[in-house]
Amino acid sequence: MTGLGAIGIEKTVAGKPAVRFPQISFWRTVVALIFAAGIYSMYARFALGFQASTNLTDPQPWGLWVGLGTLCGVGLSAGGFAIAASVYLLGLERYRPILRTSVLISFLGYSTVMIGMLYELGLPWRIWHPIVMWNRHSVLFEVSWCVMLYSTVLALEFSPALIEKIPFVRVREMYLRWHHSILIALVMAGTLLSSMHQSFLGGLYLITKGRLDPLWYTPYLTTMFYLSAIPAGLAVTIMAIYLCVRSLNARVDMSILSDVSRVIGPLLAMYGVFRVVDLVNRDATRYLWMWREETLLFWLEIALLVMIPLVLLNQEKVRNNPLFLYWTSAVIVMGFMTNRLNVSITALQSSSAVYYTPKWTEFAATFATITAAVVAFRYAVVYLDILPKNPPAQRWIVATPPAEA
Amino acid sequence: MATAEAIQSRAILVDITKCIGCRNCEQACKEIHGFPKATEAKLSATALTVVEEHGDHYVRKMCMHCQDPACASACLVGALKKTDAGPVTYDGTKCIGCRYCLVACPFSVPRYEWNKLAPYVKKCDMCAARQAKGEVPACVEACPVQASISGSRNEIMDEAMRRILSDSKYVKHIYGSDEVGGTSVFFISDVSFEKLGFDTVPKQAMPILTANALGDGPTVILVGGALLSGLYWITQRRALVALAEAREKSTKERG
Repeated sequence: MTGLGAIGIEKTVAGKPAVRFPQISFWRTVVALIFAAGIYSMYARFALGFQASTNLTDPQPWGLWVGLGTLCGVGLSAGGFAIAASVYLLGLERYRPILRTSVLISFLGYSTVMIGMLYELGLPWRIWHPIVMWNRHSVLFEVSWCVMLYSTVLALEFSPALIEKIPFVRVREMYLRWHHSILIALVMAGTLLSSMHQSFLGGLYLITKGRLDPLWYTPYLTTMFYLSAIPAGLAVTIMAIYLCVRSLNARVDMSILSDVSRVIGPLLAMYGVFRVVDLVNRDATRYLWMWREETLLFWLEIALLVMIPLVLLNQEKVRNNPLFLYWTSAVIVMGFMTNRLNVSITALQSSSAVYYTPKWTEFAATFATITAAVVAFRYAVVYLDILPKNPPAQRWIVATPPAEA
Repeated sequence: MATAEAIQSRAILVDITKCIGCRNCEQACKEIHGFPKATEAKLSATALTVVEEHGDHYVRKMCMHCQDPACASACLVGALKKTDAGPVTYDGTKCIGCRYCLVACPFSVPRYEWNKLAPYVKKCDMCAARQAKGEVPACVEACPVQASISGSRNEIMDEAMRRILSDSKYVKHIYGSDEVGGTSVFFISDVSFEKLGFDTVPKQAMPILTANALGDGPTVILVGGALLSGLYWITQRRALVALAEAREKSTKERG
C-alpha cells in the first residue's frame, strides 16, 4: 500500500523512527491562546465564582453560556439525527458516506453542551439531581432528560468507530453484532428525543410571555426552534466536511454536499414562511418597521438565516461549488446563532431593563470548550475511520528506490 | 382540591394608602434571616422585601406567592413549591442553581447569590416556618400601622374587597386577585398600579403556557414513533422487493 510505503520510506531516510515535534503554526497558536484563556476562565468560574467570571445579574440570569453554549450548541448539533434518520429510516443511502461525520459532530456538540452545563449551574456537583428529583411540569426537566438520553444514544451510535479499532476480533465482532441489532431502535429513539428537545429548548421561553419581545414570543416557539435547527445542523455538517476535505485529506463526493444544500433551501424557506405567517397571525407585523435595536437584530437574523442563504442556494453555481457552499453554510450558522442569542438575550433586554454584555471570561470559556470539540473532531477524523482518506502525499524524495523483487 | 385547604391558605394584604415608609418590615425581615441591617433600594439576596418610594407613595416589594407559580413549574428538580398553607417555599437542598426560576418569574422576584461559590436562590417564603407555628410573618408583625396584614386568603380578599368598596379613594382593583391567575399577596392603592411601578402581567396562570407544549410530548412520541416505524417498514420493504426483483432477473437471465 502507498500509505505503508510512505512510512517505510520515512524510516529508510531517517535511519530510525523520526521524532517530530509539533510545528508552531498560526492555527496552533490560536488554539493555544484560546485554551490559555479558557483555563483562566475555568479558574475564575470555579475558584472565584459567578461574579468574577460573568456579567450575569438578577434581571439577566441567563447569558452567553446558555444562549451560545446550550441553545446554539444543541441546535447546531441537529445534523446527526437528521442524517441518521435519512439513511436508516428513509433509506437515503446517498448520505451514508457523511453519516459518521454528522453523528460525530452531534456527539461532540452535546459533549460541549454538557461541559458548558457545569459552568452554567450554580451548584454543578448536583448536576445529577434531575435523575432522581422529578418535576414533570418543568420544560427544563424534559430538556435535561432528553439531553441525557440523546447523548447516550449518540455515544452508542458513534461507538463502532472506536470499537472497530479494538485489536481483539471476537470482542469487536460481539459488540458490533449487538450494535447492529439495536441500531434501528437507537436511530428512532434519537430522532424522537432530538425532535422533542430541540423544540423544548424554545419551549423554555414560553414562560416569558409579556417580557420576550413580540417579534419572537409566539406559542409556536417550540416549532420555530425545531424548524430552524435542522437546516442549521445540516449547514454545520457541510462546513465540517468541507474542512475535512480541504485540510485533513478526506475524500468525499462533493455532490453529496450539493444534495444536502438542495434540502437546506426548502427547509429554510419553510421556516421563513412559518415565521411570516406567525407574525401576521399574532398581529405583530407593526414591530417589523419600528426603529429600535430589537427590530434591527430581527432583520439581521432573518437576512442571515433565511434571505441571503435562499438567494445563494438558488444559484446553481453556489450549490455545485464546495467553497461557496461552505460560506453559505457559514452564513446560515451565523443567522442561526443570531436567532438563538436574540431569543435568549437581546429580546429580553428591554423588559429586564439591564444591558448585558458578556464578560471576556464568558466568551473564553465557551470558545475553549468549542475549540476542544473541534480539536477532538480533528483527531477523530485523522485516527478513526470517519471519512475515507486520500493516500498521503509523499513528503520525502528518495534518490534510490528501495530494492524490489 | 379541598376547600378546607383553600380556607387555611395564608395570604398578605398590603394597603399602600396606609404605608408610612418606616421600613420596619425590611428590618424585621433582615433580622429574622440574619442579613446585614443596611437598607437596600431593590430586592437582593439579602433583602427579600424592600419599600420603594414612588412620589409620596411607598410600595413594598416581595414575592407574590402566586397560586400557580411560574417558578415552581419551571424548577426542574421541584425545589420551589406552592404549599397548601399559602407560601411558595424553596428547598435549597434540591436546587442545582440553573436559575430558570429567575427567568420564569413574571414579577422578577427571585434573587441569586452571585457573589458566592455555592450560590442559592433567595426569595421571601412568607415566613412559612413561623406561620406553621401559628405566628404571623415577621414583616406583618413589625408593621406599626397595619399597612400589611395577614390572614387566611379568603378573609384577606374579603377585607381588601370591603376596603376598596367602602372608600371611594381606592382604585377599584385588588392587585393580585387575577394577576397571573391570582396570588397570595395583595395590594390595594389610591393611585393606579402602573404609576407605582407594578408590572402589567398576563391574567392567566403562567404554567399553562408551558404545560401545553409539554402536553405534546406523549403525542410526539406516539405519533412520531408510529410514523418513523412506518417509514422504516416502507424502506425495508422496498429494499427487499428490489432484492427479490434482482434475484428473479438474474435467474431468468441464467435460465
